[in-house]
Amino acid sequence: MIVGLYMPGDSTIHNVSAALKLIVMFAIGTVLVFLDGLVPLAILVIGIGFVFTSVAGLGAGRLWSATRPLLIWLAIIAATQIWIADGEAAIGVIFRLVALVWTAALVTFSTRLTDMADVIARLCLPLRPLGVSPDRVAFLIALTIRLIPAVFETVREVRDVQRARGLERAYLAAFVPVLTRVLGQADVLSDALVARGFDRWDTQ
Amino acid sequence: MIELDHVTVRFQDRIILDDISISLTEHRIGVIGDNGSGKSTFARLLNGLLLPDQGDVTVNDFDTRADGKMVRSQVGFLFQNPDNQIVMPTVAEDLALGLKPLNLSKDEQAHRVTDVLERFALAHLVDRSAHLLSGGEKQLVALAGVMVTEPDILICDEPTTLLDRRNATHVMRLIADLPCQVIVVTHHVEHLNDFDRVLVIGNGRVSHDGPPQDTIPQYLETLA
Repeated sequence: MIVGLYMPGDSTIHNVSAALKLIVMFAIGTVLVFLDGLVPLAILVIGIGFVFTSVAGLGAGRLWSATRPLLIWLAIIAATQIWIADGEAAIGVIFRLVALVWTAALVTFSTRLTDMADVIARLCLPLRPLGVSPDRVAFLIALTIRLIPAVFETVREVRDVQRARGLERAYLAAFVPVLTRVLGQADVLSDALVARGFDRWDTQ
Repeated sequence: MIELDHVTVRFQDRIILDDISISLTEHRIGVIGDNGSGKSTFARLLNGLLLPDQGDVTVNDFDTRADGKMVRSQVGFLFQNPDNQIVMPTVAEDLALGLKPLNLSKDEQAHRVTDVLERFALAHLVDRSAHLLSGGEKQLVALAGVMVTEPDILICDEPTTLLDRRNATHVMRLIADLPCQVIVVTHHVEHLNDFDRVLVIGNGRVSHDGPPQDTIPQYLETLA
């Protein structure tokens, strides 16, 4: 099963243009580099969390699901920072990373992939004289983002099959079936795209 | 109209379809046959997804080998597994995606999407995640994704295989009622009773060809 990331809604954040959301995201990323002191960083993190859960109405559960995969990396980075610097530096890095991930999650959950692709296509317009098709580039990026969860789903399915057959820890043995399935899915997807007319894009 | 002229398809040393010549002009045509008989290969020839090793396939006088893109602009294709056909995250986005190659205005795109959503009673799913829908709903979205481009001909490759009986009947009824020419490959022969013509494919050839009242019993007899 291929799962999308966009969560439908009618909040102010959902209704802001994708271009503005991306600009704000890059602005926050830049501000985070220069922002100094734990208190301003903490305020920024709390603010982003508030916008995510309340203004965009995406809820605390989704915020947690966006944060959870980060925990192991945060722990490693914090330990490294404590070792080479001090606790304050570790907390600062954690705040920055959490702020970045939450901002990216906010944009991803509140923006349709097609709206994001339209922005990418507009950004690629100057490359048209060089023979680059902005629509194709945008579609390629959107499709790539779109299919990342599909690969994870394939890994989960293969692991389930292996566990059902008693292969509990055969992580390496999962590689070939996962690769085979992903290549097979790519083959079928390319047929489906051709059948839907994508081979005549930009050629009419 | 689709015409196959002495079409042969091979896979390595095996002949999948053997010297088939046939004209497909009826409104609703069913294609049945055993697993591995070449039904899906036959279907994929009709919109140029697969090219014959020998012979020609023409659709409305366009050759699938020389004018494949033109053929596919007139022939829609519905796959067995809608998960392989639905590309974008939400229903509305996926329907709109099919219109991208047509270079329509935003207004015309929105109009077509709204129209097809209403026609297939999918308006309530417009912002839902397409891949989290039920099997029946997904197949309807996939069908709507093809029909939004308004093809002259629709090819369906086992569109009900993954569906329960209720959803299979519903999807097949919608397909059979479409105004365009419809060619359906299926194992569910009971859905073809009202069709205009049924082809039976066996051993790489069209073994039976005629109205469903004749061909379906003939096919079922071969299974006994």
